[in-house]
Amino acid sequence: MSTKTPAAPAAELAKKPPRPSGSKKLFRKVEPYIWIAPSIILMAIFIVTPIVKVFQLSLSDVSRAGKIKGFNGLENFTKVLKSPAFSLVLKNTIVWTIAVVVLSTILGFMLALVLNNKFRGRKVARAIVVFPWATTLVIQASAWNFIINKDYGTLNTLLMKLGFISAPVNWTPTPGAYFTWEIACGIFVTIPFVTFCVLSGLQSIDASYYEAATVDGAGYFQKLFSITLPLVKSSLTVATVLNIIYVFNSFPIIWTMTKGDPANYTDTLVTYLYKLAFYNGKQGETSAVSVIGFVILLICASVYMIYTLRKGDDDL
Amino acid sequence: MKKFLATLLALVMVLSLAACGGDKGGETTPPPADTGSTDTQTPPAGSGDKIDISVIAAEYGQNTKEWWAGFQNDFNGSHDGINLNVEVVSWNDIYTVVNTRISNNDAPDILNIDVFADYVADDLLLPAQDYVSDETYAKFYDAFLEQSNIDGTIWAIPDLASARAMYYNKGILEAAGAEVPTTWDELKDVCAKIKAYDSSIYPWGIDMTTDEGQAAFAYYIWNNGSDFTDASGNWTLNADANVEAIEYAISLVKDGYTNSDPATETRYALQDLFGAGKLAMVIGPNSIPTYIADNYAKANTPEEEQIDFAFAAIPTNGGNASVSAGVMDRFMCFDNGHSAEKLEAIKEFFDFFYEDNRYSDWVLMEGFLPATSAGGEIVAASDPDMAPWVDIVGSCKFYPTAKAEWADVKQGVINVEQQALLGGDVQELLDALQSEIAG
Amino acid sequence: MSQPANAVKKPVSIKKTILRVLLYFVVLDVCVITLYPYFAMLCTALKNRVEIFSGDTVLPVVPLWSNFIDIWSRAPMAKYMLNSVLIAGGSTIIAMLCGIPAAYALARMKFKGQTAFLGFVIVSQMFAPVVLLIGIYQVMQRLGLTDNILGLIFINAAFNQAFTIWLLRGTFMGISAEMEQAATIDGCTRVQSMMKVLLPVAAPGIVTTLIFIFINAWNEYTVALCLISTDTYKPLTVGINTFNGYNMIEWQYLFAASIFAIVPVVILFMCIEKNLVSGLASGGVKG
Repeated sequence: MSTKTPAAPAAELAKKPPRPSGSKKLFRKVEPYIWIAPSIILMAIFIVTPIVKVFQLSLSDVSRAGKIKGFNGLENFTKVLKSPAFSLVLKNTIVWTIAVVVLSTILGFMLALVLNNKFRGRKVARAIVVFPWATTLVIQASAWNFIINKDYGTLNTLLMKLGFISAPVNWTPTPGAYFTWEIACGIFVTIPFVTFCVLSGLQSIDASYYEAATVDGAGYFQKLFSITLPLVKSSLTVATVLNIIYVFNSFPIIWTMTKGDPANYTDTLVTYLYKLAFYNGKQGETSAVSVIGFVILLICASVYMIYTLRKGDDDL
Repeated sequence: MKKFLATLLALVMVLSLAACGGDKGGETTPPPADTGSTDTQTPPAGSGDKIDISVIAAEYGQNTKEWWAGFQNDFNGSHDGINLNVEVVSWNDIYTVVNTRISNNDAPDILNIDVFADYVADDLLLPAQDYVSDETYAKFYDAFLEQSNIDGTIWAIPDLASARAMYYNKGILEAAGAEVPTTWDELKDVCAKIKAYDSSIYPWGIDMTTDEGQAAFAYYIWNNGSDFTDASGNWTLNADANVEAIEYAISLVKDGYTNSDPATETRYALQDLFGAGKLAMVIGPNSIPTYIADNYAKANTPEEEQIDFAFAAIPTNGGNASVSAGVMDRFMCFDNGHSAEKLEAIKEFFDFFYEDNRYSDWVLMEGFLPATSAGGEIVAASDPDMAPWVDIVGSCKFYPTAKAEWADVKQGVINVEQQALLGGDVQELLDALQSEIAG
Repeated sequence: MSQPANAVKKPVSIKKTILRVLLYFVVLDVCVITLYPYFAMLCTALKNRVEIFSGDTVLPVVPLWSNFIDIWSRAPMAKYMLNSVLIAGGSTIIAMLCGIPAAYALARMKFKGQTAFLGFVIVSQMFAPVVLLIGIYQVMQRLGLTDNILGLIFINAAFNQAFTIWLLRGTFMGISAEMEQAATIDGCTRVQSMMKVLLPVAAPGIVTTLIFIFINAWNEYTVALCLISTDTYKPLTVGINTFNGYNMIEWQYLFAASIFAIVPVVILFMCIEKNLVSGLASGGVKG
């Protein structure tokens, strides 16, 4: 977003530092790298090294107990791609990621708008919204699994006590129904993340924009689309990209609720590769699956970022 | 605001420093439990010469951790030259933990887990007789040791076992006018009667989940006179009797005689449904009575509200003999280049563990069955309810865990069951699995 | 004259009231749905196992508060809790110490490889920790940080760099550089102007980031599971698994322990929330 808002051209100003001279010039050139060095070192040691290991494993013949027996080229990849379950798992992963990210972004955004109003009890409401996020996913998923259980789940008991139903309802009659519940659970725990990303973006919007817009006679939705959305777009974009990554790689919800059962119908790439690694003892193929997942994510995230940030936003 | 941030930063700093300090303390001094013995019993220079033994043990239940803590204390107290450290890991996570360590050449000295063939395939283990003294080795049931035999060498020793039988709710069967089923045909009749008596009760429990679906597979094929392999150890997954057995199991589900979703309802759920009187019959481990009694004790349930249940042999097809399924876990010792002294220390560890009274205590702690004859006698004598089980476990069948393909077979049969539940053809599925494993 | 004025005023106030009611209605619904699982967890935590599986009651017949006491004797909960606080707190501070300078450089300086670095930060997040376990363990082994809380602190800090850097960069860029430049002209160094001028203004963004890192580190499970072997170094997430046994799952304890586990996060959030709301003191905005 560029000229629609009276934003101060911070980056432009920053580009023109007070004229440096002599050795200071060299320092100016090196300085940014000193600033980013700690972060780079941290990530290089603790993330990049393990990633290199994954690539190495994906090209190796790895024994069941996890020992590398030698290089075997792309064999792991061809084995994975040949497996009949893989396409189903890939489809599930895409459905899962899109459903959770899209719905939680929309709902989270709406919730942020609601919570951005001033009202009695706002503090309490905001604290409550944090709850699902402050709970470990394993527990969150166990709780939902427990709630929707047909035979002793609390949802059936509650609805029966309230007189809405007369006999226990089987909430998960088909694999698809179970997967839907998992998606719902995923959305439930992701909403707070989006909400607070947007809220923090909303906080930083200068009230004067709205005042000016009100004076110009803009309605609520006009303000929403011409001021709010463009202004939180950047923080929302980053949140969404990270969200895509986190959701794509999310493990505990599906693992706790169904372990991918029945017959891979609720598996996503991560639960699938977990079984491959620790139940079937195929570390090599596991690493191949994760490299494939990585490539997919890389493409999707890049496309998304280029698409959303292309228009006039030169600084991203 | 600045002040607040500064305070927060300072606070976190102090905390993380405290953490580092704490860790260093942890590295140099032994765990608090045995500090006493180190200080009082060993000469100051002695601690450096101690032989460290690391153990990873599976967590069987709520008492396991405490039991091992006590064991570690007793052992270190009575063995000055040895520093034993036992790490108890939950069953959900133990494969993750162990495989990660092994891939990084950081295997424990001793591991307590169910599988072992993969580690043998990678030459990671020592033969059992290298690290178990002859007296201790002589205590095990031969049939149990044979389960860890690969190419004539015994690679692991049994730590305990559990056996399965059919539990039934006497009250429900009586009310439905049914006798305890012994054959598959009778089982279907009984299921139909229970269904007719009260349709809200599930007559039969089946678990075909990733958690333990292979157990269901074993129950039905073994009681149809068949097996995973033939007599010479070749995989026979698609044998006609196996197809028939699984088709029968699936038909129980399709006829509506079972719990609503066998693909996602684990044995935990089944045993709780049984305990709550919502499930009439289920195949379960010998620990179920203890579990149910414990529940009632905690809830102060009056006698008349408790379920009245008993166990019987698993129903079979026609005239086949009923086969109980056994599950056996093991100790194994990783070849970490141990010195002779260390091997001696490890022998002492096992001697200590399998001392008859300590061992029967270990087995009884979570309601399991012993793998030694002396242990069996003590357990049978101390608990009359356990006595029949000690007999059953001596004669039950085990999974072919000594075969390298077992991990794939296990996942494979679970997949077959789940595909069949979704409408797949059992014959085709098992043919495919057989050719994948053996071909 | 007053008549038309009223006529204009009235619909506005009715509209406002309707909106208010609608607002409260939505907020109330959201809160009820959000709290429902916790209500179910609390009720279950207060029941005995027989009652849990009978499925006959919503509220416990007789609340079994002893379950909450039992978990403290069953597992070193206090120790787990302290470890979690140390891990989450430590990760937050290290992630901030590394992330703030990087975000500052990205927002205020122009240098070669800027875009590449931003891309790298995102790409670094694209592998699930489950997949990286073996590699992470290897690194920790080399550094002697297995079975060490410090190792978890570094891992969590590293895994939260992407979020820290991207969010703070956005916040910093949204703040005009004028004031810092003025400070520089007054003789402040870059570091000083950042600390004294930029950070206070960026407080809401910083606080948001803090909460994010803290919560993520608080909830981390997989890496902690594999790295920590000594019971007394385990964080809550891993320690709670004690109640997930071989032959049974102790729902009442699992849920009782989980309820404890969210308390510190919610308290932290309540303390910090004020700053989330306070808004920017000044400065133009740039998305």
